[in-house]
Amino acid sequence: MKAMDKLIAGIDKKLERFDPIWQAEHGVGGQRSRYYDKTGVAKWREWRGVKDTLYDYTQWLNNLSSMVQMVASAPVACLKGFWEYRWMGSYLGTFMFIDRLFEGFRGYELRTAHANMHAIVRSLTKRIALVLSNDKRLGGGPRSDDFIPFDEVLPPLFLTGFKGLIPFPLQTLPEFIICDVDQHIEPYYIDVAESYGLPADVCSRCAAETGVAIDDAFPIIGKAFLTTNMPCNASECTSMIQRRRVALPDFPVTLAMIHNEPGAHPYSTQMLKDAIAFIEKEYGVKYDWNELFKYARLMNEQNTIELEKWDYFKTPYSALVGIAETLYRLYSWASVNGTDPYFNKVDRRVIEIMRRAYEEKYQPFGGKTRHRAFLWGPSAVYYTDFPTWTQNCWGINIVLNMDSTMGHNMIDTEDPDRAIQDLALFSEKATMRHHAVGGWENVNAIWEWAKNFDCDMVLFNDNIACKGMLGVHALMEEQARELGFHFIFIEHDLEDSRTVSRQDMRNCVNNYMSVVLNEKPLDPTIVEFDDSMAY
Amino acid sequence: MKKFLGILFKILGKLLLAAVIFFVATFALYMVNGENKLIYYVVRPLLNKHYDAQARDRRIV
Repeated sequence: MKAMDKLIAGIDKKLERFDPIWQAEHGVGGQRSRYYDKTGVAKWREWRGVKDTLYDYTQWLNNLSSMVQMVASAPVACLKGFWEYRWMGSYLGTFMFIDRLFEGFRGYELRTAHANMHAIVRSLTKRIALVLSNDKRLGGGPRSDDFIPFDEVLPPLFLTGFKGLIPFPLQTLPEFIICDVDQHIEPYYIDVAESYGLPADVCSRCAAETGVAIDDAFPIIGKAFLTTNMPCNASECTSMIQRRRVALPDFPVTLAMIHNEPGAHPYSTQMLKDAIAFIEKEYGVKYDWNELFKYARLMNEQNTIELEKWDYFKTPYSALVGIAETLYRLYSWASVNGTDPYFNKVDRRVIEIMRRAYEEKYQPFGGKTRHRAFLWGPSAVYYTDFPTWTQNCWGINIVLNMDSTMGHNMIDTEDPDRAIQDLALFSEKATMRHHAVGGWENVNAIWEWAKNFDCDMVLFNDNIACKGMLGVHALMEEQARELGFHFIFIEHDLEDSRTVSRQDMRNCVNNYMSVVLNEKPLDPTIVEFDDSMAY
Repeated sequence: MKKFLGILFKILGKLLLAAVIFFVATFALYMVNGENKLIYYVVRPLLNKHYDAQARDRRIV
């Protein structure tokens, strides 16, 4: 083994000039040096040293294998899906997406990142194969009527009590996840919505969903549809348009907006009970509390591990960082929500790595982190690798973000009455609801979170079309000044990359770091670059 | 026994050769970012042409 280590060290020394981090340190290049301009296409993959490059290669094979399995399990349906749906074509950009998410990752942070990412790829590929092979538009399948299509912002855990039925977030594949992969796909659907009279200054996520509905690009599945008012009133509007096009019997799960008020909780509990009764009536399937308890235990374990992860996030020795944490938590909570035991397996593996890294006092990114930031507000879906860029360019490590703090209460697994109340509380704190809506104290909670996670910086996502956040600008800046946090508003337009480009978002940080803090970038090649034609 | 071992080593040898070829080919594809170049410059433009030519059933109701 010593001889092998010596050989690897020798090769690493010989080839270190191809490592973009080494290049940036020595002023002879950086991450951007290996890219073709504008396209986001890399001339070659990142050289990370022998061990990490070989590891990245094996994970590339692992993800490729999931995709091959997806096509092999439903070849005709997948081909038909690619031919029918524009959003399916965008999923071909997945490998480029993963590459840019984990640029600059090495050692333990590369391993936790890939463990988390593969769970997402595996889950998504299975879902794509399942939905396309049962899509009535493409010929249907044996389980077409077993699907319960529901709005993606509604956490599906409470639906797992329907044994034999498949709760399926309708918008996730054509509107949400695909926007992470390809920044150009949702502008197409947004334009469709606006061509029918939708104003251009509404939340672009809701505009995109509306466009998908009008363009007839949702898969056709199920016998009834659960819509929602979550997270906010823009969702109410798009739900009203989507239900017309989906044209199934529907039930709006309208959870309480001001969910911290005493009267809110019993109301939300009753809403979930009514939704369950609706599905029982439409599908002729009785709700099984033992089936729910089975999945609630999985979700409880996920949340227990998540809370332990938070303890490590508060230190400089966390092996799980930035987007590897953010994207995984968002997908595993909002989309999986305890329904897939594979995610529990991944959580157990990742927490083991984190414990080991902490004991070794391992600092990610070669210890180059200069600032610890808390990311607040809904993130730009078209710039998922933004946390990777902040670390690689300016040494800003985003230790946690708002949506990672979604519903983390435990669900009772013995008493149905207690369980439904826990589920209501859990569901109220869903994506973008725990903080971006629900009352001033929710929005203002950022300072407590930033302090508890030992952050010196707050990056505040500023969705320029979100009327809810527009009013708080000056208040937040004033408080940041008083409390002594570095504070940067990151303007974006959620799912429309044309209004505020990725470079415009980078400039928000560039201007603050260079003008206010007078710091030099870790990698000058990625301060300013054109990725307008990239996925 | 000798014959069996001979066949076994032959099979193992062929498997090893196949594994080496598989590794070299896939690692080369991975390092030169071949699949992404093919997708970006060839596959997606062709697919987009098809999507742009599609007649969609666009309506609200």
